[in-house]
Amino acid sequence: MTFIALIPLFPLIGFLINGLGYGKISKTAVPWIGTGASLLSFVCVLLAYLNFKETAIIVNLFDWISIAGLNVGFSFQLDQLSIIMLFVITGVGTLIHLYSAGYMSHDEGYGKFFAYLNLFLFSMILLVLGGNYLMMFIGWEGVGLCSYLLIGFWNKNTDYANAARKAFIMNRIGDVGFLIGIFLILQNFGTLEYLEVFEKAKAFHVGDGIIVAITMALFVGAMGKSAQIPLFTWLPDAMAGPTPVSALIHAATMVTSGIYMIVRSNVLYTLSPFTLEFIAWIGLATALLGATIGLFQNDIKKVLAYSTVSQLGYMFLGLGVMAYSSGLFHVITHAFFKALLFLGAGSVIHAMSDDQDIRNMGGLWSKIKITAITFLVGTIAISGIPPFSGFFSKDEILAHVFEHNKIMWALGMLGSFMTAFYMFRLFFVTFKGSFRGTEEQKHHLHESPKSMTTPLIVLAVLSAIGGFIGFPEVFHLPHRLNEFLSPIFENSRLVNSSFGVVHISHNLELILMGASVLVAVISILFAYMVFGNGKNVPVADSEVVGLKKLVYNKYYIDELYNKVFVGPISAISFFFANVIDKKLIDKIVNSVGEGVNFSSKKIKELQVGVTGSYILFMTLGILLLVLYQFGPSLLSTFNLLQNK
Amino acid sequence: MYPIIVFSVSGLLMLFLGLSVNKKSLLPYNLLFMLVGLASNFLDWNAPGLYFNGMLEISNPIILVQWVLIFAAILVSGISSRQFDDTHAYPAEYYAIMQFALVGALIMVSFQNLLMLFVGLEILSVGLYVLTGSDKRNLRGNEAAIKYFLMGSFATGIFLFGVAMFYGATGSFDISSGNSVANNLLEGKMFFWLGMVFIFIGLLFKISAAPFHFWTADVYQGAPTVFSAFMATIVKTAVIFALFRLAAYSFNLEYENWSKFLVIIIGLSMVIGNVTAVFQTNFKRVLAFSSISQAGFMLLSLIGLGAQSYGNLGFYSLSYALATISAFGVFLVISSNTIVEGRPSENINVFDGLFSRNPDLAIILLISMLSLAGIPLTSGFWSKFFVLNDAAAKGYFWILILGVLMSAVSLYYYFNPIRASFKKTDLGKIEISSLSKYTLYVCAALTILFGIAPNILRSLF
Repeated sequence: MTFIALIPLFPLIGFLINGLGYGKISKTAVPWIGTGASLLSFVCVLLAYLNFKETAIIVNLFDWISIAGLNVGFSFQLDQLSIIMLFVITGVGTLIHLYSAGYMSHDEGYGKFFAYLNLFLFSMILLVLGGNYLMMFIGWEGVGLCSYLLIGFWNKNTDYANAARKAFIMNRIGDVGFLIGIFLILQNFGTLEYLEVFEKAKAFHVGDGIIVAITMALFVGAMGKSAQIPLFTWLPDAMAGPTPVSALIHAATMVTSGIYMIVRSNVLYTLSPFTLEFIAWIGLATALLGATIGLFQNDIKKVLAYSTVSQLGYMFLGLGVMAYSSGLFHVITHAFFKALLFLGAGSVIHAMSDDQDIRNMGGLWSKIKITAITFLVGTIAISGIPPFSGFFSKDEILAHVFEHNKIMWALGMLGSFMTAFYMFRLFFVTFKGSFRGTEEQKHHLHESPKSMTTPLIVLAVLSAIGGFIGFPEVFHLPHRLNEFLSPIFENSRLVNSSFGVVHISHNLELILMGASVLVAVISILFAYMVFGNGKNVPVADSEVVGLKKLVYNKYYIDELYNKVFVGPISAISFFFANVIDKKLIDKIVNSVGEGVNFSSKKIKELQVGVTGSYILFMTLGILLLVLYQFGPSLLSTFNLLQNK
Repeated sequence: MYPIIVFSVSGLLMLFLGLSVNKKSLLPYNLLFMLVGLASNFLDWNAPGLYFNGMLEISNPIILVQWVLIFAAILVSGISSRQFDDTHAYPAEYYAIMQFALVGALIMVSFQNLLMLFVGLEILSVGLYVLTGSDKRNLRGNEAAIKYFLMGSFATGIFLFGVAMFYGATGSFDISSGNSVANNLLEGKMFFWLGMVFIFIGLLFKISAAPFHFWTADVYQGAPTVFSAFMATIVKTAVIFALFRLAAYSFNLEYENWSKFLVIIIGLSMVIGNVTAVFQTNFKRVLAFSSISQAGFMLLSLIGLGAQSYGNLGFYSLSYALATISAFGVFLVISSNTIVEGRPSENINVFDGLFSRNPDLAIILLISMLSLAGIPLTSGFWSKFFVLNDAAAKGYFWILILGVLMSAVSLYYYFNPIRASFKKTDLGKIEISSLSKYTLYVCAALTILFGIAPNILRSLF
């Protein structure tokens, strides 16, 4: 299976050519190389898929590490799950590369940008194609690094650099969990290869403590990467990067790797109902939190960012009720419509001469027709109106949630009410009414070039019909996705009898479906009443008051984190660096420099004094350590001796 | 054992060569001697046993570590090219002392008798005191040398006190005699335990583990950069393996009695090293604090003390040496090109715009920083992975969490030079001597190679 090894190879080659040749390759060749690499990779996925038959294929390129007790191969695993993820990544990835060719064409770092994009694609492919947890981790770190590079791509101002750093560090906190999960797996299973781990996992009972620990640790990793409470605040800030980056990394691919990881480890999660319940509630809370913040944002990309946070919450909600394939289904449809929305937003920003505030827009419908229509398609899809793709996947998740817990379902419906509202608010304020920007902006308004509108159209079509890969059972049409994915969940079925059992009657299913459509329609009408005439424009920042202010300011979560975590840590670090190190150590060193003028006696005193204080600290350290280690036994020994 | 003899002789030869040949050809001689030393180690391959009346032990794993030491010394010599060209430098002496210090380091990884450990430690330390102050016109260097000497002597005193206790408890200096007290009464064991703790502390000082790290930043900053690199790599490797030998052969039955406080020291080193490095502006100080935290990570394999720990430590040492030497090497070239107030600037901002001034150096710096931070596909990732796995095997999960968190903190300061190097600048190109260039290429290439295929190195141990 040479195709499998070629899938990650092309983006790597693309990265090397554009990266090493940065500044030497002509500007016309750069996008061809970058996009071509991505497209070739997509073709390889297609070929690999056509040659694929039922059972997973393992390609072990070489032994990464093989010592006693630790055997990890540099191996790829092609199965149903990785095929689906690869299609999304390379497919949407290629479209976004194409879009970037137009969008970034004025940027001086054009070649660098494509190099980073290719590197990202390579890491993401490693993440989903890897045959063991370590490969996944390598990809996991790789995408984090690329995300850092791409968010901070415009490193002109410090805000962007800070956003990049925040994303990286928050992800690292999540990675702590992931790494600990990996070490736990290694200690308890003795291997990291998926197939072996899952095989051995079958011997465990449902609710086993070790499995709970492993799944919880891995989920912490997912929280970081997929922006769940409490590690979600980096994602909206990550919008500082170029818009295609937001579309590719912060909507369609990287942020869904947490979901991929859980679906990949579905046996382990099925064995741990406690973790699943936890995931479901975290997902639900994130979905609601993201949606409420999205209600009042005025930056077009911020609205989409919070919407992404919220939609990721839905995916985790689905996973939490063991509807793994539904969660994955939503990953796919979300990749289509959210990439579409982000690229559409990019096209709007392009037209608006880099202004992102929707309060300055309005009436763009007639000015940029293609963007507007495709954006509308995306908006309908995410709102859950049939037969657009978002409806199928979200409805499937909610149906499973209903079965699991009615309260969760009601809250989920509330979330989808808000989703439809904020998305249509965004749409109406941006495209309806009359133009509110400056004369200069108005003069510049133009539709984007072909290389940008083509991906929009393709994604719009996919957003419209993408849901047909999974029809609800009640329609008696095939659910191709479920059928295809079925072998992935074989082990889950074996270990937990409650997996995959559906109790919902067809009538109830229809009622639920009707309810969610009704909620979405009411919400859209509501949004239309408020914003449809284009006269109601969100007020300026200073006039936002009361509860709305709380939500507008994202519940002050960033501020809270700053107070609770960042503040103390930098204070400690500052203390060490500036008080202990500077005052105590540097001061002396400096004063020695100045002290050349002083008498030599004086210097001598200074030096002896300092070294003396160092030694004092050391001696104190020794004393404390000896007491800590031997205090109790020393005491008892003395007692013994005295008694004698 | 042969390299010990080779370097003892070649160090003397070096001093005589200093009188007869010109300065520029001393470095090639030095490299030649080191290669001879490296090769002479083959003679001992597959001939394990005790030598010199049970004073030294030679076995294949020990030879591998000795190779790591000699190889690191070759790399350090490589980046020293053109550094000693001015009239006030005496390269013959420096290289001779480096070779003598190397003898000490080689003894420290193969001792069978605590007296040999002491001899090795002192040969290494005294050489370093001199090298630290070798730039006689640099006030800071002089102060650092005195400081290092005073504190080093203090640590040696503690170490010797520990050895005396050990002898008192066991009646022997042989490291295997540590196990003979296993069944002794509590009163007799008290001396042994105290000896053990003091021996540990004396050595922990040398690898700058917290809270015995106070000298590190001053000394790294004050010493000429080449010797800071020597200190950061060769000394650390030699001492950590000395500690490992003691832990594995003398004190393994007392694991419960030293692991408790060692874990505290590891935690302290990681926290103090990383947290203090964040706001440093002097790059040598950054690397000094980074070396404190790396010492914490290395000590994890002592806590692990499993069948794989020795190899893990070997991998860690080489990978750390490669990354550190390339960081120091790149810094050395740039800082000697950026003179502020008559001295090479050591501020982090010397890296500004490096990518446009010399892209190769910028890439090497990038690889080195990523490796030190433990990012995958560099050897630094694997070294951290191995030692953390070691700690996990013993169930020390809190130190695992702390370690991973602290390596997240470390990204902050390891990324500073990287970001600086991609800034815009209109400063001119930087020239670099071909020897240091190739040395740096080798470091970077091996860092990546061992990152992609760690098995090449790891399976040797």
